[in-house]
Amino acid sequence: MKGVEVDPMNTTFAKTMEILTYIGLVVMIVPGIIYIVTGIGYVNTADAVENWGKSASEFWKATKGIEVHGYSWFLNNLTYFDCLSIIGIVILAITPLVSMIASITKADSKYKVILLIVVIEFIVAIVRPLFMHVTGH
Amino acid sequence: MDWWFWPACLFLFTLIIGIIAPISGVGGGVLFVPLTTAFFPFHPDFIRGAGLIMALTSALSSAPHFAKKGLANLRIMAPIVVVSIITSILGGIIGLWITSAFPEGKYYITIMLGIVLFIIFAVMLTSKRVEFPEVKEVDSLSEKLELKGAWYEPTLGKVVEYRVTNMKIALPAFAGVGFIAGMFGLGAGWANVPVLNLIMGAPIKVATSTSMMIITVNDAAAAWVYLSRGAILPMIVVPSVLGITIGARIGAKLAVRARPRIVRYIVLGVMLLAAVLDIYKGLAGLGYVPKLF
Repeated sequence: MKGVEVDPMNTTFAKTMEILTYIGLVVMIVPGIIYIVTGIGYVNTADAVENWGKSASEFWKATKGIEVHGYSWFLNNLTYFDCLSIIGIVILAITPLVSMIASITKADSKYKVILLIVVIEFIVAIVRPLFMHVTGH
Repeated sequence: MDWWFWPACLFLFTLIIGIIAPISGVGGGVLFVPLTTAFFPFHPDFIRGAGLIMALTSALSSAPHFAKKGLANLRIMAPIVVVSIITSILGGIIGLWITSAFPEGKYYITIMLGIVLFIIFAVMLTSKRVEFPEVKEVDSLSEKLELKGAWYEPTLGKVVEYRVTNMKIALPAFAGVGFIAGMFGLGAGWANVPVLNLIMGAPIKVATSTSMMIITVNDAAAAWVYLSRGAILPMIVVPSVLGITIGARIGAKLAVRARPRIVRYIVLGVMLLAAVLDIYKGLAGLGYVPKLF
């Protein structure tokens, strides 16, 4: 930039985010379109249409007879395009975390601590559902 | 009705939102959730999940560009998200808990969404934008965190340096905004920008860009709550993200040519209508008023 030295912490954050966003979008959209066009997936489109007016918990009981707590509902079914599309969403949802981890290396000591706190909070957000079932049941 | 009818409608609908958003200056996410809740047959759980992913992808697509220029500032974002990441996760948890724990939870959420929309409408209508706010004194916390930066402003042909203040006052506001974003699946630029610009004294371009950065972290954290509850359906998310992404590119080109003020007022009017419809739909679901359709 003309006459401006951008904080290296900022540029590392931006570059990491840019790359992961492209990957996430492609992984989400390509299998997602194939799923919508073919209508075949872990939840077939006819079932989805019939039940998408129900709450998330009722939806999964009605379509697959399961209760969803965690991530196994898509991680165990990656041969289906709808679940593959969810992997794209996972990449997008993990992008800020990876970008912050990358920028820690360029941060000064104060910001190393602050970013580390955010990273820990983020990781807790990801693993929390694996230990706690507090969202409704 | 064929199964593809609603996803196709959703694509067209989000395409239009994507075109209108940059022209009107109203965020796409804030239009998507209330309008889809009012007019589409999907449960609010899935609409909020899709709203979060839409706001997340929009912010992820633009934040790196602004960060490289020095406009989106990680120094300002990091202390803010230490607080708001917690409240956005809490918002997601409580929002999904209400719909699954109470049989009428869907209607409570719809009514609350309508009320929040009234607040957003009031904020958008009344808040001013200050291009280059003057920061006379910097509080001790902002000083210690070195909340400052610089960018090259092509319209002025020079480097603009800035510093921000009032971090202690701003943090509770960001906590509240994070909660609303997580609970309703809204992007939160409508609140982030005025706080950064008017309370903290960030220049408007820095405020809008840093707001994008904040949204990436808050919405990504809340998205994990929705993912873990199965509240994200590719059949709703994919057409929405595609529609808004394509629409936003068209809208950005149109916005360069003209941003008629009337479009903003029309969009704000539609928002107000959506707020009324959401509240009515919620009350109708609870049996207080007759159903419209």
